[in-house]
Amino acid sequence: MLASLQSRLYDLVRRDTFLPRFHFLAIGLLGIMLLLLPQLTGLVLVGLFTRIFVLAVFGMSYDLLRGYAGIINLGHALFFGGGTYIAGIVFANYGTSPTMLGLAVLGTTAYAMLAALLMGKIAFRRGNVVACAMITLALGEIVRQIAESWRAVTHGADGLTFPIPMMFRDRVALYYYALAFMVIMMLALRQFIMSPTGRVLLAIRENEQRAIFLGYNTASYKLVALQVAGVVCGWSGVMFALTSRFANTELLTVQQTLNALLVTIVGGTGTLYGAIVGTAFVQLAQHTLLGLRGVHLIFERWLLFFGAIYVFVVLFMPTGIVGLYQRLISHWLKPVKPR
Amino acid sequence: MVKPVLKLENLSSFIGAFHIVQGVSLDVFPGEAVVILGRNGAGKTTTLRTIMGLLRVAGGVIELAGETILGLPAHQVARRGVGYVPEDCIVFNFLTVKENLQIAMRKADKETYARQSYALDLFPDLKKAYSRYAATLSGGQRQMLAIARVLQNDNKIILIDEPSKGLAPIIVERVGEALITMKNSCTLILVEQNFPLACAVGDRYYILNGGRSVHSGHVTELANDVQLQNRFLSIGA
Amino acid sequence: MDTFLILLVNGLADASLIFLMAAGLSIILGMMGVLNFAHGTMFLWGGYTSVWIMARTGSFWLGALGAVAVGALMGLVFERLFVRPAYGKVTAQILITLGLMIVFTDLARLLWGATPLPALRPAVLDGMVAVGGVRIAEYRIFLIIIGVLVAIGIHALINRTRIGMVMRAGVQSPEMVQALGIDISRYFTLVFAGGAALAALGGALYVPLVGSVWSGMGMENQILAFIVVVVGGMGSFIGTAAGSLLLGLMGTFVAWFFPPAAVVANVLLMAVVLVWKPAGLFGLEGK
Repeated sequence: MLASLQSRLYDLVRRDTFLPRFHFLAIGLLGIMLLLLPQLTGLVLVGLFTRIFVLAVFGMSYDLLRGYAGIINLGHALFFGGGTYIAGIVFANYGTSPTMLGLAVLGTTAYAMLAALLMGKIAFRRGNVVACAMITLALGEIVRQIAESWRAVTHGADGLTFPIPMMFRDRVALYYYALAFMVIMMLALRQFIMSPTGRVLLAIRENEQRAIFLGYNTASYKLVALQVAGVVCGWSGVMFALTSRFANTELLTVQQTLNALLVTIVGGTGTLYGAIVGTAFVQLAQHTLLGLRGVHLIFERWLLFFGAIYVFVVLFMPTGIVGLYQRLISHWLKPVKPR
Repeated sequence: MVKPVLKLENLSSFIGAFHIVQGVSLDVFPGEAVVILGRNGAGKTTTLRTIMGLLRVAGGVIELAGETILGLPAHQVARRGVGYVPEDCIVFNFLTVKENLQIAMRKADKETYARQSYALDLFPDLKKAYSRYAATLSGGQRQMLAIARVLQNDNKIILIDEPSKGLAPIIVERVGEALITMKNSCTLILVEQNFPLACAVGDRYYILNGGRSVHSGHVTELANDVQLQNRFLSIGA
Repeated sequence: MDTFLILLVNGLADASLIFLMAAGLSIILGMMGVLNFAHGTMFLWGGYTSVWIMARTGSFWLGALGAVAVGALMGLVFERLFVRPAYGKVTAQILITLGLMIVFTDLARLLWGATPLPALRPAVLDGMVAVGGVRIAEYRIFLIIIGVLVAIGIHALINRTRIGMVMRAGVQSPEMVQALGIDISRYFTLVFAGGAALAALGGALYVPLVGSVWSGMGMENQILAFIVVVVGGMGSFIGTAAGSLLLGLMGTFVAWFFPPAAVVANVLLMAVVLVWKPAGLFGLEGK
């Protein structure tokens, strides 16, 4: 029973990436460490890791687009910030009962599906990466501008502070909720990628022209990917609301989208877990650099480092940390045979 | 012994991840017209593009008049005296006929202008359409323009890729006449699927198969050897 | 009628500025296939450079000149060091220019601070003139003249010079241009730097109009330029000019007659054009 579960799980992980068997040991150890972490360290690290878990889901939703469907969406923040704002507005105006949490999640889902539908209809119209990037950027900016000018609801640039449901107020509990959220979302997205629809998306990424010739309506498949990514991203925004208890229009900026883009690039695109690795790396790097600001003020300029990492990785490490690691591994170890 | 103008030895090149040319060797001697034959996908066009420096070379030798041009960017290959008439007669739609000729001039000396007016005499159609945009030209006229712009330069060798492709038979005849005229003054490599045209223009032939040069000889021999034709070219099959 | 005239002048002045930015973006995209996300950063640096120079020398004109020089230099360096290694890799280029945008926007913040700096109009152009009984700011008329001059200049460059010839040919097939013996990468650098210089000039002329320079203005205006390129059609000069006019005029009129729609009007326009003509108003089909 357990063996068959393990082999199915193995199959799931193994299918499209090269992972030696000993990774299960490593992942198991990592899992135990993450479970014990709140018992071992202080609230600062617990908070940092909670944020990593939530933002990793944001990153994975981006990887679904960029790494699997080959879409560069520069307005992705509108789903994330949208989720945070919807949760915040609900909690601030209608209370924090579990029903309201359900309402926030439902509202976010509906919003994300509608936004993805509109965005996809407009952005995939021209059918190439460049046009899609320009159009999604413009759409994202519009949502930000609307949020900024609709002060009655969003409180504009000042930001919106709100209470959160009781069950999430304990930092350690929130940590475990966020960890569970990340694991569940990763498995769900993996299932989606393994589904027939996901396979078609891979085909589109490899060669859209060929997929069209094979008779696939590629725009509608991309639209499905955008809807799935949008909804998952919106949920990560709701989770983010629970960790931050605050929303401002920063969450809707291009910079926010670029955060997700960066973690997928740093971690490695088209792997999902690359987004987790990337988020952890970027967040820990930011945390460390900000810790160094006593040494020199330059370390306060996080964006300088952010941009530099960005350019460096794209130019010299196009497969990211995961790609680099896989190359090292396949260099040192012979690849395991498929079952 | 006469030195070859162009010498390929065991040439190998990639398009993206695909190893298309896997071992092409050929020599072209001054004044010759060499035709490259082979089925679709045999690597004929890719061989020409590799000579031009448009593709990544994996290995082998390319020598132009005794000097290696392997790994040079395309514009330097062209400047050393290689004229290229690409497949599908790519001429610049947003340039007039005059500008299409002008942009391709490698020097602006008297000889170049003399050769230009010779080329225009060869294709009177172009003279008539001199200040029209190339987008308005017919398929045959585009092919003539693509040839004329190469003729005006002082070339060591001219590479021509399927000049008859997609043209009406009557136009093919005229292109053929032009090629035969050209042959008298230049060294040529011609990739051609139209067997009669290839026979009419070529002196020697090379057959490519699966990215390798597998056979060569004089065109007259090939024209009489039906068995060989069937084996590599599937003519009439 | 008076309102109409004022709005018309304002709209045309805005269109001139948008055009300065969009022209380079569109040509670079059409010829090299590079969507330059750092284009707005040149605009930003143009604005800051001109204000910085003007504060030291007191000369607006020196400031504008300095902005053009800085823009051209940045374009040159960006193209040579960062864009060139990734030719043919569309996604990598988008990502690299995005990274440059982040770094250089933050550098501007580091050098000149996060708060907006005031920007003054040159004394010569600070007055008003009466046109048909309506008082109109001289500076806006100046902008319109500059816009028209630049448009005529680019048009002449494209149609009457060798550079223009290579540009027109390069839009169709850079590879073939190279196979004819022309080192197209030098033209790429030239066009990239030229486009950057125009964007920087746009920034230098923009800040006196709005009265200040701030680090977010690069992105805001870049989005307008993107919309122009999508609406006008990629790589089409006429499309870029027409798109700039349309966006500039529409922005001014909508903001006057129906302010709530100002934010979404541009995107609505883009959506309508995409549905109606996916290649853009003057786009080349299949390009």
